[in-house]
Amino acid sequence: MSILPCSGGSMRMTDRLGWFLGLVCFFAVGLPLSASAAELSFQSDTIFRSFSRDPATESDAAVFPAYEYLQVDIETPEEPGLAFHLYGWGRADVADNDYFTETTGGELVYGYLEFSGEQARFNARLGRQYVFEGVANESIDGLRLSSDLGKYFSGSVYAGQPVALSEENGRGGDSIYGARVANHLVGKYDLGISYKKINSDGEDAGETAGIDLSAYLPGGVNLFGYSTYNLEYDGWGEHSYELRFNLGSTTIRPYFQKFQYADYFGIAGGTVNPFGLLVAGDEELTVLGTDLTVPVGDSWVLVGKAKHYDYQQLDDSSQYFAMQGTWTSEENNQIGGEIGVMNGDTAQTKYTMVRLFTYQDHMPDGCPLGFFSSDLVYVSYDQEIYGEDSSLFISLASGKKFMEDALEVKISGDYSKDPYFDEDVRGMLILSYHFDHAL
Amino acid sequence: MRINLWIAIGMSFLLLGLAACAALNNGLDLPARHPSAADLGEVPKKCTNCHEARGEKLAFGAFVHNATWMQNHRQQAYQNEQVCAMCHQTSFCNDCHATGTELKSSLKNQSETYRQMPHRGDYLSRHRIDGRIDPTSCFRCHGNPKAAKTCAPCHG
Repeated sequence: MSILPCSGGSMRMTDRLGWFLGLVCFFAVGLPLSASAAELSFQSDTIFRSFSRDPATESDAAVFPAYEYLQVDIETPEEPGLAFHLYGWGRADVADNDYFTETTGGELVYGYLEFSGEQARFNARLGRQYVFEGVANESIDGLRLSSDLGKYFSGSVYAGQPVALSEENGRGGDSIYGARVANHLVGKYDLGISYKKINSDGEDAGETAGIDLSAYLPGGVNLFGYSTYNLEYDGWGEHSYELRFNLGSTTIRPYFQKFQYADYFGIAGGTVNPFGLLVAGDEELTVLGTDLTVPVGDSWVLVGKAKHYDYQQLDDSSQYFAMQGTWTSEENNQIGGEIGVMNGDTAQTKYTMVRLFTYQDHMPDGCPLGFFSSDLVYVSYDQEIYGEDSSLFISLASGKKFMEDALEVKISGDYSKDPYFDEDVRGMLILSYHFDHAL
Repeated sequence: MRINLWIAIGMSFLLLGLAACAALNNGLDLPARHPSAADLGEVPKKCTNCHEARGEKLAFGAFVHNATWMQNHRQQAYQNEQVCAMCHQTSFCNDCHATGTELKSSLKNQSETYRQMPHRGDYLSRHRIDGRIDPTSCFRCHGNPKAAKTCAPCHG
């Protein structure tokens, strides 16, 4: 058994934890004073894991990391006004046997103050936040504003520092800003134009423009599309377009994607590994595919997937085919499975995957468990990887709720035998606690 | 540099426009939160059970969480974050979409097998193949310095 040590968080945990807790206390105490009928929502997930690894100093060392995921929301759910949202995690390596680079790690995923106006869906967010819109899929420390701009338009702008660059030569000279303007006719179409600019240490680190489109065409046909243009490399990086429509009860989703590697991966300041090498080539990947989703009766859903990859420079192609079936009971219990075949252009890129899963949400009367789930994933590789031609993963989990469902205890165990592990057994215990409190 | 200046000026005007137009309500306000199962008396399972596929406020049919939704919700999220927020806190998205979460989502949510998360099982081996077939799908999440730290131990 061998695995590389995990690169634990290199942040200064104590500094950030203090800031993190300070924010929680400040807003937990201060915000309700200005917000009537506010609610405090608190979610804590404490996770204990157990497994065995070979760090540099010993073999078969037991590793016991403990994680805390904490989420706090203060808001008036049905009314506009002020709100505060916070989510972060921390980890301590209880065994402290050099598996993790740092004994402790953690991250403030988001923590922001939000104001929602009564008019025009005006929304302002200040602090660490995720921005998902147009070409933006970024975590920023900054400000974002959005609003309707009359009946047919809406817009948003954001600016701040990108969190993703925080560990490269400090944060001096790092910046991100962008915007999206959309024109829409509800139920007909939604057309957005977006822009994003990133600087790292004062140097260009990405400048992208994009178009996103949803069009609801006659005959129940929906068209969705997305294109991005790399302004640094002056070329289209991605085109992704798909149709969705029904024939009877069957949903059909044909799609088309085209990626120009140099423009998709290219960042003037340097693309991170392992993607940097792809910028130098002139490869163009075209993907064509279709999904069919077929409900059978009230309980079964069958899905067929076909995907064709075409490489212009390599002058070759690959295909992926899969069938998936899921049975769902009225009580939301599920049994499902999938079989997929990746037919790559070489023996190195071919595999067959089988997956079976169950999730029993309603247990029989008298059973002390709240739920039970299981998962099996088996993959057969055409060409051996480290002398192994297959991998097997089995997972079992169960749990129960206590304290009027405020506390849920979940326990799970995994077994894996694969090219990287002769045998790997892992255990996990999760304590999830949630409460809401009117302030 | 001059381009950046023009962009900054343009964004400033956009900002002013946002402030000026904030009073222009388009009359299509959606509620901040979707009614809960307790309010409705049943668990809401499918948007189009109650809403028109192309309703007056939203094309609800585009948001039905069918069997392939897990792999295909990007477009809806990028255009309609507010709709997602009616039912999901951002933390729900961040289980998969974040720059620094040590536990991958299929591990953190180990027991939720029905979500059919893509990195389940021995993805360490399978990513060698999926990454060669289509590296663009890796880049969306691991294409920045912080998220690429998970790649660094092997890929440098």
